[in-house]
Amino acid sequence: MKKGTAAENPKAPASAGLFFLFFGISAITVGGGYAMVPVIGSTLEKKGWVGEEDFFDLFAQAQSFPGPLAFTTALLVGKRLAGAKGAAAAGLGVMLPPFGAIVLVAALLGQIGELPPVRNFLKGAGATVPGLVAAMIWKVAKMRAWTPFRAISAIALSLLLCLLPAFTLVVFFAAILVLYFMEIRWNSSR
Amino acid sequence: MELLSIIWSFFKIGFVSFGGGWSIVGLIKTEVVPRWIDESGFSSLVAIAQSTPGPVALNAATMVGWQRQGILGAVLATLSVVTFPVLAICLTGIVGKRLKVRGPELQESLKTGTLAMMTMTLWLLLPRGVIDPVLAAIGVGSFALVAFTKASPLWAIFGAGAANVAFHLLVP
Repeated sequence: MKKGTAAENPKAPASAGLFFLFFGISAITVGGGYAMVPVIGSTLEKKGWVGEEDFFDLFAQAQSFPGPLAFTTALLVGKRLAGAKGAAAAGLGVMLPPFGAIVLVAALLGQIGELPPVRNFLKGAGATVPGLVAAMIWKVAKMRAWTPFRAISAIALSLLLCLLPAFTLVVFFAAILVLYFMEIRWNSSR
Repeated sequence: MELLSIIWSFFKIGFVSFGGGWSIVGLIKTEVVPRWIDESGFSSLVAIAQSTPGPVALNAATMVGWQRQGILGAVLATLSVVTFPVLAICLTGIVGKRLKVRGPELQESLKTGTLAMMTMTLWLLLPRGVIDPVLAAIGVGSFALVAFTKASPLWAIFGAGAANVAFHLLVP
């Protein structure tokens, strides 16, 4: 039952159900894709819409697509459960709450953003950002299954991107392509 | 005209937002600073994006679109981010059956790619010029908190904001 479709899964929801499910999860989870995906997975499993293994399969696919992780995961889950309509419903559900939240915050900042306490608060909060990125790099690097090849290529690509930020898109895609074929060669030569 | 360049910028950002938000914050910065938002405004934007629901790329698009072009800008910038991802998923539905991609190898190369993008993000976000000691301490402190404990980044963000307000009240 790898390609379970709406027809094969009697519990599969209608598009409206998908919309509200993703709307709810998106509205209450803070911190982007990696915070949301586990909540999506456990909720879908509890409802019996997508099993754990199936969800991991979809999540792995979502990571290979461009786009915010929470969004691509929602699209793929929606598509699996209710076709194109389901994908649209799930995608919109994920997008609407953050859109509303940011418009609210931005409108509010337009009114009070120049007050000294507000300015200082935002400055202090903003100062955490490099620290948070560094912490995220630390965590990702710690979990990675490192090989000498991966370590060297990660360092080389980092340097290249830091030196050529204006060519990010070109450098990134060229590197992904090269690394992909090198991973294949390395794996098959073992 | 500005609306069109905002749309184009966020459309491009949609191409590379693989694997979680932090990897593309650097790219977003090169697109929007200093054209539409200044250095410290951008840092606040990222802090706000991290403490509200939703992926950082979408939040940044909504915020920049709203601040520059009102509600129309917010809607169009946000939709621009997801245009390419939606196309990509639709296309693989059609082409995907003939295209054989080796999943694990692709994922490993994307992991290397996103890690490098995060490093670029860090490099681009490091403060330059005169460094405010309080803000520098906040940066180092939030690294330690999030890297070595299980605390949510939210604590760092709100704590740092409050600490900086308190500091300026005590030391005018």
